[in-house]
Amino acid sequence: MGAISGWWDDFFWGSLVVVEIFFVALILTVLFGLIGAGAKLSKSRVANAIASGYTIVFRGTPEILVLLLFYFGSAVALTAIAQVFDPEVKFVDFPPFWAGSLAIALIIGSYATETFRGAFLGVEPGQIEAARALGISNLQTFIYVRVPAMWRLALPPFGNHMLSLIKDTALIAIIGLEETLFVAEQATATTGKPFTMFILVGAIYLGFSTIITLSVMALEKYANRHLAVGR
Amino acid sequence: MRFIDVALIIDSIPRILMGIGLTFQLLFLSLTLGTALAIILLLLRISGRWYLAAPTMVYIYIFRGTPILVQIFIIYYGLPQLEFIRESIFWPILREPFGCAIIALSLNTGAYVSEIFRGGVLGVDRGLKEAGAALGLSVTQRFIYITSPIAIRLCLPAYSNDVVSLMKSTALASTITLLDMMGIARTIVAETYAPYEIFLSVMVIYLIITWVIQRTFGWIEKRMSQHIRSEA
Amino acid sequence: MSDSGHTNIIELENVDKFFGVFQALKNVSLSVKTGERIVVCGPSGSGKSTLIRCINRLEEHSSGKIVVNGHELTSAVKNIDAVRREVGMVFQSFNLFPHLTIIKNLMLAPTLVRKASKSEARDTAMKYLERVKIPEQADKYPSQLSGGQQQRVAIARALCMNPKVMLFDEPTSALDPEMISEVLDVMTDLARDGMTMIVVTHEMGFARSVADKVVFMDYGEIVEMNPPEEFFDNPQHERTKLFLSQILAH
Repeated sequence: MGAISGWWDDFFWGSLVVVEIFFVALILTVLFGLIGAGAKLSKSRVANAIASGYTIVFRGTPEILVLLLFYFGSAVALTAIAQVFDPEVKFVDFPPFWAGSLAIALIIGSYATETFRGAFLGVEPGQIEAARALGISNLQTFIYVRVPAMWRLALPPFGNHMLSLIKDTALIAIIGLEETLFVAEQATATTGKPFTMFILVGAIYLGFSTIITLSVMALEKYANRHLAVGR
Repeated sequence: MRFIDVALIIDSIPRILMGIGLTFQLLFLSLTLGTALAIILLLLRISGRWYLAAPTMVYIYIFRGTPILVQIFIIYYGLPQLEFIRESIFWPILREPFGCAIIALSLNTGAYVSEIFRGGVLGVDRGLKEAGAALGLSVTQRFIYITSPIAIRLCLPAYSNDVVSLMKSTALASTITLLDMMGIARTIVAETYAPYEIFLSVMVIYLIITWVIQRTFGWIEKRMSQHIRSEA
Repeated sequence: MSDSGHTNIIELENVDKFFGVFQALKNVSLSVKTGERIVVCGPSGSGKSTLIRCINRLEEHSSGKIVVNGHELTSAVKNIDAVRREVGMVFQSFNLFPHLTIIKNLMLAPTLVRKASKSEARDTAMKYLERVKIPEQADKYPSQLSGGQQQRVAIARALCMNPKVMLFDEPTSALDPEMISEVLDVMTDLARDGMTMIVVTHEMGFARSVADKVVFMDYGEIVEMNPPEEFFDNPQHERTKLFLSQILAH
């Protein structure tokens, strides 16, 4: 245990990085998921095709491959672009934070697309009809009737997506992001105690998973409080 | 700007495919061991005895709540730190990246699959089990002849998703020096600095494998559902 | 009121409705005067629901003309919105918004569509909740109410928009028998107060006591239309007689 002392600080900051990535990727995931679901539910065949392509590619490709492709790919692209302006440039780095967040968000976003799509389809048509019969506009129906019904249906599976999201953060260590796994690798190099360090990383992630699971449970309770049957 | 280096792709694909053997070994071995483990975990979990179910639930919770990459690192990099590991009979396996990868993937997939199986078992209609009891079948017989066949069919979609996940996780073996397809791809990229050509090529190969897995399970599902024909 | 000069608040002329190749409405013509109470009955699939759903454009008629309160129903969104503001609908499966309390259910449309203030909407809502005799349920959720109560809330919700016409699509068909009368009572009150209404129902007792005209539909056509005494005591067509004998047999 003594080996960890001196490293607490670094693990703390690493954990903070995990949290940052989580929230950034979460927002992007919801965005990609909604856009994807919208595309799949739309009447445009082009949109359907693109969205289907998106989900097939990102659900069937190893996460680490997506990550490396993004990281090295964007570095190469940026370098090429930079070289147009300044031929002396050898290599432009792409911050692992953004490459990682984007990659993870695209991956989980493809799962979220299916989840959101199913949730939108699960909204009872009767409620939509009632809203339209009352004269409520399409946009207002979407905001006040469709979305409240839809997020309640999406919540349980989306909770799982959030768990995947936080666990995939560890992969970004591979491209040099200084989150907890990366810190553990450095700590191992100095202290020679890989087991201790990596177990600690596991414990940290387990803690995060637990927080997410509990939060989702609380949110589900709030979401379903209107269903408490009692007379 | 660079153009797509087709020659490089043509040269590299055979090299990448040399890793497919390792990828499949990782996949099938971990799947088999993981599924076997999942059955054991399932039986413990539904045994009704708290001293069997509780540790199982903790195990599942830990393995589903931590990143698989971390699990791989703990087993490959971490275990050698412990003396009793180095002196145990398992050391020859645990020393090798292949053995560690198999163990990590199996333990991980076992946790997920046991929950999938549990979902399938819970999905079996109570009435069917009661009918079995009324006919005089014992608990074990009911489980084998009534619950299991139905549960398996219910599980298939989720199970096939997990097989795809497992296949994707095999790529992580490249982080502990194994030269599966991903490992070879990374090596080539390091040599040639052509991430698009190489990574996109190996991505296509992975997508083909995913497609094959999904088609296979679709076929199995169809075969198993033949007795369910909707009356017109 | 804006319908001075229109004796007919609803006018359907030669309306056809196709679902693919299936013809749900065949050359239907119907006039409804302000204050009239029309009951529409007929076997399943006769087109009765389709008929009233075309009136508030929940279904689009394939050909013919529908005019509601001076607005002709076309694909013009402005017309459709104008019609829906003046026409209230009550559904067989209530369709209350489950995530909103009863009072919020009632307040939603007035605040969004008529731009009423929260307090105005609340006052209107409470007024109509009292009218349907369940003001004490205002802060409960739909899932906590019985079917009969939910349907009465649905009626109140439609009334909060102060419609000129109320459409009822088999309002009691999904209710347990002991709750049917509480809903029919509310509808009878409404009729007595002069509300123009079209009711699709199997409740013949209600038709006899409340309706000005009873319409019998079969296979998408209006077969017979008469005031209740003539309709029930002296049906003209064979099909009407057959239907009545089946439905009044218990």
